[in-house]
Amino acid sequence: MELSAIGDILVAGLLRGGLFVLMALGLSLIFGVMNIPNFAHGEFYMLGAYFAYFSRTLLGLNPVLCIIMAALGGFIAGSIIEMTAFKALRKRSKGNWVMNSFLLTVGLSILLQNLAQATLGVRFMGISHYWQGSINILPNISVSIDRFAGFVIAMATVALFYLFLHKTKTGNSIRAVSEDEDGAMLVGIKMNKVHTLTFALGALLAAIAGAALLSINPAYPTMGLAPLYKSWFVVILVGMGNVWGTVIGGFIVGIVEAFSYYNLGAGWQDVVSLMVIITILALKPSGIFGKSVRGVWDR
Amino acid sequence: MTNLQSILNKQNTLSDNKFFKLLGVSPFGVAVFIILALSPLFIDDQYVMHLLISSLMFGALAIGFDFTVGFINIVNFGYAAFMGVGAYTSALLVSRLDLSPVLAMLAGSILAAILGFLIGLLTLRLRGMFAAIMAWFFGITLMSLAANMVDLTRGHLGLNVPILFPGAGRDAYFYLILGITAVTYIVLRKIINSHIGLAFRAIGQNIEAARSSGVDSTKYRVFNFTVSCFFAGLIGGFYAFFVGVLTPAVMHTRVTVEILVLCYIGGRGSLWGGLLAAFLVIPIFEYLRPLMEIRLIIYGLLMILVMIYYPGGLAAVYAQLVDLIRDMLGMKSKSVTG
Repeated sequence: MELSAIGDILVAGLLRGGLFVLMALGLSLIFGVMNIPNFAHGEFYMLGAYFAYFSRTLLGLNPVLCIIMAALGGFIAGSIIEMTAFKALRKRSKGNWVMNSFLLTVGLSILLQNLAQATLGVRFMGISHYWQGSINILPNISVSIDRFAGFVIAMATVALFYLFLHKTKTGNSIRAVSEDEDGAMLVGIKMNKVHTLTFALGALLAAIAGAALLSINPAYPTMGLAPLYKSWFVVILVGMGNVWGTVIGGFIVGIVEAFSYYNLGAGWQDVVSLMVIITILALKPSGIFGKSVRGVWDR
Repeated sequence: MTNLQSILNKQNTLSDNKFFKLLGVSPFGVAVFIILALSPLFIDDQYVMHLLISSLMFGALAIGFDFTVGFINIVNFGYAAFMGVGAYTSALLVSRLDLSPVLAMLAGSILAAILGFLIGLLTLRLRGMFAAIMAWFFGITLMSLAANMVDLTRGHLGLNVPILFPGAGRDAYFYLILGITAVTYIVLRKIINSHIGLAFRAIGQNIEAARSSGVDSTKYRVFNFTVSCFFAGLIGGFYAFFVGVLTPAVMHTRVTVEILVLCYIGGRGSLWGGLLAAFLVIPIFEYLRPLMEIRLIIYGLLMILVMIYYPGGLAAVYAQLVDLIRDMLGMKSKSVTG
C-alpha cells in the first residue's frame, strides 16, 4: 500500500471516527449511569438531523446555530422521554432492569421511527452543504469543509462534555451515580434529576452527531440503525462502562471502516469491523480497556 | 356453576391423561390445533388463508425466540439472520442442486443450528446483554454477507425460489406450516418440561446460583441457542418457499424486533404466548394496512406499555383469568405461570 493511501485512510478514518465517538459517548454514559442499553440511541441521531434540517431550511439559521438547535431539541426530547417512560418503568421495575429497559427502548425506537415516517414521510431531507468548498489538511489530502467542521464540532463537544463531567457539581453527581448509586443517594444526590439529565445529555450528543453529518447523510426515518450499531461496536470494543475509552474506540472503528472501504469497497465494512471485534473479544472478553464485565450486566 | 366446575375438573383429569402428557400440550391446545387443521375446509378466501399462514409462521418464530429469551433470559438479537440462513440455504439447494425441498429445508435448519452453535460458543460465555449485542452483530454481518455475495444470493436483486407446490393453492402451505408449528411447539415444550428446562430456568433466573449448584451454564445456554436456531432455520426454509423471492431484508434487525414484540406481547416464558399474539396482532395489523405508519406507531406504543405496565404479557392475563375463575368456583388456586 502506498504511503498516500495510508494517509487517506487515516484521515478518512479519523473524520469518520470523530462522530462515532460522539454517538458512543452518549450510549456509554446512559448505560454507565442508568444501566439502560439504549436501542433507541439512533433515533436521537435521526431527530438531530431533522431538527438541523428544519432549522436550516425553514428558519434559515447559520450552521452553528442549526447544530445548537438540534442539540437543544435532542436534549428536550430526551428529557421528556426519560420523565415519562423510564420513570414509570423504574417505579414498577421488580428486578431484571437491564433487559426490561432495553426492551422499552426497542419499543421507543419503533415509535420514534414511525412517528417521523408518519409526519414527515420517507423522503430524504438533506442539504447540499453547510459550508461550501474544501480545505487541504495535509499537502495532497483535501477534505470538504463540512467533514472537517463535523470533526471539529465533535471534538469540541467531547472536550466541553469532559469539562462538564469533571468540573461542575452536576457533572460530578452524574459520575458519582455511575460509580455507586446507593452511596450517591446517601450523600443527598437527587436520583431523578441525575437520571433525567443523563438521558437528555446522551440524546443531545447523538443529536449533535446527526446534525453535524446532515450534509453527508440526509435525514430520513430509519437513518439511525447504522450509527446505532456502530456506536455499539465502539462500546463493546472498549468495554462497557468505560466512558473515555470510547474516544479511542471510536477512532479505531472509524479507521477500520475506512480501511475496509478502501480495500474491499462499500458493503464489507460491517464484516471487517465484526472480525476485529470478535478477535479482540476472544483474546480479552472485557474489551480493550474494560476491567470486568461482570456485575453490571445482571442488575 | 357446578356445571362449569365439573368441566374444569374434567379438564384437570384430562390434563393428567398420558397422551397429553406425552405430547406436552393441554387438551385445549389439541382442540385449537384440530380447529385450525379443519379451517381450510371452511375458508375459501385465499387472503384469509394467507393471513393464517403468516400468523402461524410468525407465531412459530416467536415460539423459537421465546425458547431462548423466556428461559435462559438472553435476547437472540440475530434471530432473523438465522432464519435467513435457513431460507437462503434451502432455496439455493433446491434451485442450484435440485435437492428435494424437504431435504433442503432440513439442511437449511441444520446449517442454521451449526452457525447458532458456533456463535453461541463465542458469545454465550459473555453475560446477558453482552451476548445479545454480540448475536446482533453476527446477525448484521450475516445480512451484509448475504447482500454482498451477489454471485450466490443475487444480493438485493432478490433470489427467486422455485415453487414448492405447483398447482396447489394456499392450503398445502397452510398444512406444512401448521405441521412445522406443531412440531416446534411440542419439541420445545418437551425440552422445557424435562430436567434440561429446569436448568434453563435456573440459569435464566439467577446464573450465579445455578452455577454454584453445579449447572454448567455455558453448556445449557449453547444447547438452547442451537435448538432455537435450528427451528429458526426450519421456519426460514418455509418462508423462502412461501414468499418466493428472497432478499437480505429477511435478515434485518427489523424482523427480529417484530418477532420480539410478538413474543413480549404474548408473554415471555410461556412458549404459546407469542403464537397467540401473532394470531391477534398480524390479522389486525393486516386490516390496518392502509394506515401503515400508524400501525407501527401502535406497535411501538404497545411494546412500551407492555414493558412498563404488564411485563407478563397475554400469558399473565390468562394466568390471572384462570386463577380468578378458580377462586370464584372456590377451587384451590393453582398458578399457571411460567
